Amino acid sequence: MKHAQRNTLGWIAVTVVLFLVLLLVGMFLRAVQANQLDAAQGWFYPMMTLHGVGMAGLWWVGAMACASRVLARYVEPSEKVSSFAMLGTVAGVVLLLVSVFLGRFAAGWYFLYPLPLKGTWPRWSTVVFLASLTVLAVTWLVWVLDLLRAIAKKFPLTRALGWHYITGAEGPEVPPVVLITTVSLIAAIACLVSGAATVVFFVLELFTGTGSDPLLMKNLTFLFGHLLVNLSLYLAVGVIYDVLPTYTGRPWKANRVVAVAWNVVLWVVLFAYFHHLYMDFAQPPAFQYLGQVASYVSSIPSAVVTVFGAVALVYRAPVRWNLTVALFFLGLMGWGIGGIGAVIDSTIAVNSVLHNTLWVPAHFHTYMIEGLVLMVLGYFYHYCQEEAPIEEDLRLHKIATCLIVVGGYGFLAMFYLSGALGVPRRFAIYPANVAHGATLSKVALGFITLFLGGLLVYARELGRRWNKARQAIHA
Amino acid sequence: MRALIILAVLLTAGTAYAEPTAGETSFQQKCVACHTVGGGRRVGPDLKGVTERRDPAWLERWIREPDRMLAEKDPVATQLLKESNQVPMPNLAVTEAEAKDLIAYMKAKSDAAAAGPATPAAPPPSPHLGEVQTVAVVLFVLLSLVVAGVFAAVARSTRLAVPTIDTKRAYAVRRVFFFVAGTVMLVLLLATLRRTPYAAARAPDRVVYVVAKQFAFFYSAEPITSDAELARAPKLDPLTFAAGSVVEFRVTSLDVNHAFGLYGPDGAVFAQTQAMPGYVNRLRVSLPKAGEYHVLCFEYCGTGHHLMQSSFTVR
Repeated sequence: MKHAQRNTLGWIAVTVVLFLVLLLVGMFLRAVQANQLDAAQGWFYPMMTLHGVGMAGLWWVGAMACASRVLARYVEPSEKVSSFAMLGTVAGVVLLLVSVFLGRFAAGWYFLYPLPLKGTWPRWSTVVFLASLTVLAVTWLVWVLDLLRAIAKKFPLTRALGWHYITGAEGPEVPPVVLITTVSLIAAIACLVSGAATVVFFVLELFTGTGSDPLLMKNLTFLFGHLLVNLSLYLAVGVIYDVLPTYTGRPWKANRVVAVAWNVVLWVVLFAYFHHLYMDFAQPPAFQYLGQVASYVSSIPSAVVTVFGAVALVYRAPVRWNLTVALFFLGLMGWGIGGIGAVIDSTIAVNSVLHNTLWVPAHFHTYMIEGLVLMVLGYFYHYCQEEAPIEEDLRLHKIATCLIVVGGYGFLAMFYLSGALGVPRRFAIYPANVAHGATLSKVALGFITLFLGGLLVYARELGRRWNKARQAIHA
Repeated sequence: MRALIILAVLLTAGTAYAEPTAGETSFQQKCVACHTVGGGRRVGPDLKGVTERRDPAWLERWIREPDRMLAEKDPVATQLLKESNQVPMPNLAVTEAEAKDLIAYMKAKSDAAAAGPATPAAPPPSPHLGEVQTVAVVLFVLLSLVVAGVFAAVARSTRLAVPTIDTKRAYAVRRVFFFVAGTVMLVLLLATLRRTPYAAARAPDRVVYVVAKQFAFFYSAEPITSDAELARAPKLDPLTFAAGSVVEFRVTSLDVNHAFGLYGPDGAVFAQTQAMPGYVNRLRVSLPKAGEYHVLCFEYCGTGHHLMQSSFTVR
């Protein structure tokens, strides 16, 4: 038991500390774009790479840590594998830092082929970056397989996927977190395998000179990247299914509708990534149309089933609005709003004018910092408060959530507006025809400072409980 | 009269397609990705007047062995490195004769640019929302407000708490929600899937080949598939079109992924396509309005990405 507690507290510390650091890196990026840090402009693209890879990986492990802890109520994941996952993740992060800080590696978070091989950074930094990805992919694959093993030990696959709800056959009651996590982990295997295949092709070219097809590599890269972010969200949503009812006093169980919705998600999420390639006209048109249909359809299970279910669960419930409930509730709202921005952009006709403008980071930052991040932070607080209860100051919780909402959405609004006004993403300096991007970056910096303030209040509240829980383990 | 017209066409053609000098060929092969002569800064500085600004011996050595000069911490070289976003000028194995040709070319080109009429750059248009962008923003804001409104109402409802709610009624509401959301989605799919950039309306009046290469776009009337062809092929510089024409841009890349992002004279993005090595993407656009059209790279392509820009004129 102590091993499990130590692991969870370890994941919480790693996630929160790295989040603060990577948030500061993100603020650095906006400051450069606002022409406030001209002297450091040469570091923009390496830091952009660190921020992107770091945040995508961080919230994946954050969501996995939450899911594995909640799953432990029903099945028995290996704590040794969880410790191994943390060690592997830390090793991967160290390699990434070496590649970025010492090698100035700057191929961006999805390192689109063949850019890592044709940049201004030294070859060794590309090798270290690929080594970092390999360590992370292998580590996470082992973690995923262990969780699936633990689930399969108690629930046969068809039961874990809730097929007996769909067919009406007899079967055990399956907690929604088991169903959703199973769906997510099966898709995660496809995600990590496509990531690993991308790395293998890079390594082949590095050491044998065998080139790869850029379109195939693009498909592999986006299958990996799109799935990683979406599955992180689904894992966190599964956690909410399990934890939110303890605050509302109402059950949230799996049934036929929930089972159908999440089984549809398993398939649809594999095809939605095509929307990243709309502007590659060489891609077969059937894939492009499939991308739009899959992107639209994937929003139905989330909006109609999960968000609606959460809203019904909270409606007129005797809720005490502490940090967990507030962050869960706001996280689901952010998921919904970010989803709207994403579905609009997944329309091919709209994507023609919004693709790779700041509209893209606008919507994925919405379902990250106002969605997934809040869900995971909500669970972290819940866990620490359960392990080491301290009397709650709800006024302080309200201040934290208000700052997070006002600061976060103000920051995001600047992204959306910039994107609609044609400001491209990933520009260190804005050319004259999109110079308004610098002004909007400056406004965004003000808002994100408010968000940071809210986060620090949260960190203080969490830290007190985390510390008490840690002391209890050692006592 | 007809003979005069033919003569004029031949003379013009002769001017446009003159055999490039050795210096120009070397410049196109080795320098143009990072430099222009009178066309503005790219990753490296604009080289207009460089033969006047720098000592000839220093310039020749800098062209031939920039890596050594950087290693020796030459003060000018160090300053140039800083100004170029820490992107070092590579050693491109330029021979002594080649360096002299390059210097002669840069001097001739600078002199020609100085002798030409000075055209003041037009101020960029004010920020502008295009038609599609306006629809996207309005739709996004309205739907987001509905979501936020529902969440706010539900949060407020907890002040009047009850232990349970009528589950049957909740499921009935969900059915209505499912039906409405599904219908809206179907209508939007049917309406928008017909408006894709893959099948353009009519045949193009003109085809232009676009080659992207870190960190510049090149336009030509003939296809370019290699660095050697890029050096040889005549470039369309400046690029102009007649108002109202339909143009097909055949876009490719000679190194990494780039994207060809088009801004209209009103300042709004109106089309784009990726530039991928080994593939050609055909972007067909109508250019109804006269004015200056800007082009930015819309796919991250390396540390000089933000410098990769171009423009053309529609008259």
